[in-house]
Amino acid sequence: MNYGFIIDNRKCIGCHACSTACKSENEVPLGVYRTWVKYVDTGIYPDTRRHFQVTRCNHCANPPCVRICPVTAMYQRADGIVDFNPDICIGCKACMQACPYDAIYIDPDTKSAAKCHYCAHRTEIGLLPACVVVCPEQAIIAGDTDNPSSVISSMLANVDVTVRKPEQGTAPKVFYIDGSDVSLHPTAVDRTPESFMWADVIPLHANGGSETHRDPGVSRKENGSAGQADSASNVQVSASVLESTGTGSSLSLRLSQPQGTPWDGPIQFGASMAEHMVQVAYNAQHKIPWHWPVPAYLVTKGIGAGIFIFLSLGLGLNWFSLDSLALVVTGFISLLFIGITTGLLVHDLEHPLRFFSILIRPQWRSWLTRGAFILVGFTIVAGIWWLLETGAYIGVWSDGTAETIRPFALWIGLPLAIGVAGYTGYLFAQAEGRDLWQSALLPAHLLIQAVMAGSAVLLVTFLFLPDTPENVIDIARTALVVAVILDLFVILVGEFTIPHASEVAARAAHDITHGRYRNYFWWGSIGLGHVVPLGIAVVLALTSDQPIAVAIAGLCAVAGLYLYEYAFVMAPQDIPNS
Amino acid sequence: MTQQSETNQETASSMDAGLPVFSETDMIPVRQPDGTLANYPPVEKWDDWVEWDAKSWPKKVARRYSLVPTVCFNCESACGLLAYVDKETFEIRKFEGNPAHPGSRGRNCAKGPATHNQTYDPERILYPLKRVGQRGEGRWKRITWHQALDEISMKMRQSRKQRRDGIVYHVGRPGEDGYANRCITAWGVDGHNSHTNICSAGARAGYSFWAGFDRPSPDHTHARVILLISSHLETGHYFNPHAQRIIEAKMKGAKIITFDPRLSNTASMSDVWLPTWPGSESTVLLAIANYLIQNDLYDKDFVRRWVNWEETLQAVADGQLEVDMAETTGDGSLPNNFDSFDKVLKALYSEFTFERAAEEAQVPEDRIRATAEFIAKCDGKLATHTWRSASIGNLGGWQVARCLFFLNVLTGSVGTPGGTLANSWNKFVPKPFKVPPPLETWNELHFPHEWPLAHYELSFLLPHFLEEGRGDIDVYFSRVYNPMWINPDGFMWLKSLQNEEQIKCHVALTPTWNESAWFADYVLPMGHAGERHDLMSQETHAGQWIAFRQPVRRVAMERAGKEVQYTYEANPGEVWEENEWWIQVSARMDPDGSLGIRKWFESPYRPGEIISVDEYYRWIFENSVPGLPEAAAAEGLSPLKYMRKYGAFEVTKDNYTPYEHDIPGLSTDEKKKLDSLIFRLAEIARGLARDVLDLKPEGVVIDSKKRVLKNGQAIGVMIDRKPKVGLNTPSRKLEFFSPTLRDWGWPEREYVVPWPLESHVHPDHIDRESGEMLLLPNFRLPTLVHTRSANSKWLYEISHKNPIWIHPSDAERLGLRSGDLAKVETEIGYFVDKVWVTEGIKPGIIAMSHHLGRWRLQEETGVNPGMSSLAHLDEPTEGNFKLNIIHGARPWESYDPDTSRIWWEDVGVHQNLTHAVHPDPVSGAHCWLQKATSVTKAGPNDKHGDVWVDTNRSMEVYRQWLAMTRSAVDVSPDGTRRPGWLKRPLKPVAEAYKLPEKPFGR
Repeated sequence: MNYGFIIDNRKCIGCHACSTACKSENEVPLGVYRTWVKYVDTGIYPDTRRHFQVTRCNHCANPPCVRICPVTAMYQRADGIVDFNPDICIGCKACMQACPYDAIYIDPDTKSAAKCHYCAHRTEIGLLPACVVVCPEQAIIAGDTDNPSSVISSMLANVDVTVRKPEQGTAPKVFYIDGSDVSLHPTAVDRTPESFMWADVIPLHANGGSETHRDPGVSRKENGSAGQADSASNVQVSASVLESTGTGSSLSLRLSQPQGTPWDGPIQFGASMAEHMVQVAYNAQHKIPWHWPVPAYLVTKGIGAGIFIFLSLGLGLNWFSLDSLALVVTGFISLLFIGITTGLLVHDLEHPLRFFSILIRPQWRSWLTRGAFILVGFTIVAGIWWLLETGAYIGVWSDGTAETIRPFALWIGLPLAIGVAGYTGYLFAQAEGRDLWQSALLPAHLLIQAVMAGSAVLLVTFLFLPDTPENVIDIARTALVVAVILDLFVILVGEFTIPHASEVAARAAHDITHGRYRNYFWWGSIGLGHVVPLGIAVVLALTSDQPIAVAIAGLCAVAGLYLYEYAFVMAPQDIPNS
Repeated sequence: MTQQSETNQETASSMDAGLPVFSETDMIPVRQPDGTLANYPPVEKWDDWVEWDAKSWPKKVARRYSLVPTVCFNCESACGLLAYVDKETFEIRKFEGNPAHPGSRGRNCAKGPATHNQTYDPERILYPLKRVGQRGEGRWKRITWHQALDEISMKMRQSRKQRRDGIVYHVGRPGEDGYANRCITAWGVDGHNSHTNICSAGARAGYSFWAGFDRPSPDHTHARVILLISSHLETGHYFNPHAQRIIEAKMKGAKIITFDPRLSNTASMSDVWLPTWPGSESTVLLAIANYLIQNDLYDKDFVRRWVNWEETLQAVADGQLEVDMAETTGDGSLPNNFDSFDKVLKALYSEFTFERAAEEAQVPEDRIRATAEFIAKCDGKLATHTWRSASIGNLGGWQVARCLFFLNVLTGSVGTPGGTLANSWNKFVPKPFKVPPPLETWNELHFPHEWPLAHYELSFLLPHFLEEGRGDIDVYFSRVYNPMWINPDGFMWLKSLQNEEQIKCHVALTPTWNESAWFADYVLPMGHAGERHDLMSQETHAGQWIAFRQPVRRVAMERAGKEVQYTYEANPGEVWEENEWWIQVSARMDPDGSLGIRKWFESPYRPGEIISVDEYYRWIFENSVPGLPEAAAAEGLSPLKYMRKYGAFEVTKDNYTPYEHDIPGLSTDEKKKLDSLIFRLAEIARGLARDVLDLKPEGVVIDSKKRVLKNGQAIGVMIDRKPKVGLNTPSRKLEFFSPTLRDWGWPEREYVVPWPLESHVHPDHIDRESGEMLLLPNFRLPTLVHTRSANSKWLYEISHKNPIWIHPSDAERLGLRSGDLAKVETEIGYFVDKVWVTEGIKPGIIAMSHHLGRWRLQEETGVNPGMSSLAHLDEPTEGNFKLNIIHGARPWESYDPDTSRIWWEDVGVHQNLTHAVHPDPVSGAHCWLQKATSVTKAGPNDKHGDVWVDTNRSMEVYRQWLAMTRSAVDVSPDGTRRPGWLKRPLKPVAEAYKLPEKPFGR
């Protein structure tokens, strides 16, 4: 048994009956959608067309939402339906990031993730999904693709079909007859035009985004890409790209764009380009799932883990020693930031009280689950060590006791701290809806950032600690400078030397460096986060040592890190997935 | 056991929502034997159906439902619905389709499921209200139904005792067949008023002149070519049933051709999109006709048999129809044979070349040619349809329908499989018990003498007539009707509705607030689709059916053994159904029977007692629906029980070419007599056998036009020497040449035969150089219905605003980009709205959907806050009206959490207020297309939604159009007001047709 859908675009008239039947059957609240009919208008009068596309969960054979869900709230049934359980969902929204199709939303009533579930409650008793039954044109064909007597299986055998984003490897099971690239391919149209044909559009950044304006230099289709008036201006844009190069002959050539970077013309999708209207006339409203708590969590996690890594390596390898008070304070700060990290994670859950479900009913393939256990493990080990040091400091037990156990605690804690710093790289890689996040460099990059942030916060901490040995500060300063340089190197190399593998990743990267997030990137990350600290370091090296200046350099690096993470977390979420 | 079902069990046992949990064995498996899934629960399980609660899933919480069929009350299609009524709470959980319904076949459009929103609309009116203070002041008090019944019935009684035209029932969407009309007839007043003349009068007139029926019924399923004027795949007359069948035909290879200046969904699905300039449709259609005629590609045998060509040739011979025959016949002689008619056609239409059509319509010539070639190969399977759109848009729009149907006639696609049929063949309206006799009066406010051919009431001119002093109204019922909003020139309506001298009492029968009800004296809440009884039938395909709208909670309660005497007992609040209201109010109008009204409302089963709704329908189902009693008996049910169970019944199938049928009801003697006359046909036709007529006028005779008469009434026609039923025209044939138009003051060629009439928005009348544009204001969306969907959150979520469509070339000229505000000036005022720049509209035309732009005057009461703007209404100087929007849609708190989640603001602009009235002098249709005298980028003081109108200008424009009419006083050939054969709702007795002695204005 393997359920799937065929959407027959030869028949679909765009009436939206499936949309309201679904709202009715599943009591779907306003503002969220399990299925909707995307409209895209194309052409030049009188050669124009409206493309309809019933858009919904693909019930992927290889569903990334199931893989990333930490608590099996998203699950794949034996009959191929990808279903969900709102009663156990913790509301982490990771499934929304994992879905490359914009199919999942948070239900405002249940606060849980929800989506099309093939009306599993109906198929269970032998009834077709509500959208199938209502369709005036019988343009939605549902059934068991394994059953040779089903209509869907004979159609699949006989009619050409296509799917959305096959390159994601999700094996979607919503098949389109006469699917059109302009509607199948989300980036063929502006994700958030200022209006739809009959409906308002909620700006993507209406809630939580610091910027709500549209930057004309950024969003190349900010004008809605409609028609000749706009085409005319776009043609001019294109024309500037069509400047002849210095070939020495009269031959005029197109300048090729950087790999994966969008053409500034009216429309492009895949290899096609057309100088005519392509405007989305209707689509579901979508909201960005993750906002400031996620980049903030990346920073606090880096600080907490970074401090511990610094201490465990420095003390373990006898690079330096610290007095009891310093150990208590630095250990506390590490734990504090890990605590804040956990706090941010829980805060960002739609069901904060269900946080413990991750531990009680873990889904082990999810890096959210694995990360939670790493965090817990680290917190236990680091906590025990800190209690040990604190006990010694206040005289509950002797310094000797602490000294005996310390190496074990630090060496056991080190891999956990590295895990804390780096696991998010694997988690982000599971978020298959955001191609930019799928980077093999990411775990290492996060580790560098942890060292950078950890040493920066230590340098600030040492300002307030009496009698900090000079060599500790030196080592921390060196660690900071080296980490900042490495981080800069990884960012610049990662960004500017190797093209991104997918158009979607390239678009997100382009938004970071040249688009909506360019100020975060250039002024925030590169300037404040790297150039300023390095500049201070150079100045200090040439002049006298100023611990306060070093601390400021560290704080700049941390601030820059947050701004970088903000751009890195937000930009891919701006790219439309439907 | 799968991983998932383990999960379910775990959660089911760990959590308990307090709902009854049944074991899985309670479920009734409906899976097909081959393992595939089923559409609907089987009918035999409808009384007790169990399914898993969707919201609790994957927890398995079982819910028991009683499945009750009813009929959708959104558009006019009358699609079937199946209500899932919870057996414990009698809550209506959802509406699905009714698989037993022959028209909709279990499927629905977006509006079907949204019936649930309307039922559970937190803003609906639940109790009868009476105004306190001035009309329109917005102060109301709750009254009892008894008080409403007493007061209103007393006013009706007083009016009825004084006059026969003082009570008006003004209906928008009837949503039923015959019930209200029977009541009006029983009151003895000429009180029916409709919305027809802002909707379909143009098409109706065009079809009537051809064939005597007033609505087309295309058999899309079997068509080879489907020619649609307007967007019938998304909005047409019978949207869902037709859309199903159009696409069925498309999948079988039929070609779809659509005329529409706007890229509709239908245009997008078509093989040929013809974005014709409005008003050029007739020329394009005649160019296609000409192609068929000149190339001898038309069905000559059909035309010879069924078209009144002899009458046409006579008109040519008499000089009534001018044709330049010189080229075709040389000497101009026209012997009385079909060949001559062929020559007349060739001569008449030779000027309609593709080139001319392409130029006038401003469309590519090859698209017209392709259309003509498709049609030439249609093999008698050309399904055509026009409704609203061009036929209601243009001055002379009725000729669009006539030119379109001309193609059916030429291809022989009249009543054939795949052709276009008549509504009267495919719609079945059963007779109720005891039908009151025809009225003896004529309402001058509805059928004034200036429009003798109007189809039908000049409803939208009512305030202009009242303003002129043509009369007044004692009791005005508005029902499923929002006249101030939906009609053109709404501020004229506002004036009348506020004027207690003109409309003395206004009773609004409505489930929800609307702009006009705000100015009523009584607001009486009536039920939605699942809260009332109605009987409906529509011509959705080549067959006849009836569908039974039911109060679903009442039926479910009765199934559960509860006794419900009146529907309001089962409805929310004190919501009544109109059936019971009309029975009660009619009976109270005449408590002692002295006015002769009460007797029509007495039970056929309980003499002397007032009828119940059950009894009303029981009688119909037992006596008036052929086959129904037998079908019911086969299941051991009474006919009423059968209809309560299935909600629909198919009366006939495949009802093709009924005009070819033998004349029914003839006795053997009469048949013999006809046989004896056949050999004298030639003599009769030449007028040599007058003796036959004269000798026995009371029997069956054949007249000089080969019509079969019985007792002086035409009952058929001789076709190829065989008596046939024929059509409902005076000639009993298809009237290519219309003697009616000739005789009633329109003898010119462009009226008597299919011919283009120059529209008021002809390119010559729109000076695009000086910035004038054509405003196309009257198209529908697939998701909304006029003003009646503003209680449906799911529909409004998808579509809530109506920006002005504008082509990029026009937008560039005006400096407008999508989202910018534009100011559109009309003949009488202006409005301000955002623009939507698109290649999907013809250059020179701006278009706006007519559904949106609802408003209310109070924050707390009025049209639903999520679907309307809060507006300020002002009349700064006499006759100058201003409407300003204070704010758009807003979320609000109610028992439905969704109301706090309203995320949209723009709910559109009420453009109709700025439309001048354009009554077509022939059909009486309001010609919707507007000349936008100026379209500019809005100024700094213009706000979205602003409307300004000078009603003094309104009256001027009205008088300009009135001057185009040809009054029956001047043109009537026989001293009557209207041709007797033309249809009219509630046709009065013949005497009432006599022109008045003092017609208004004479």
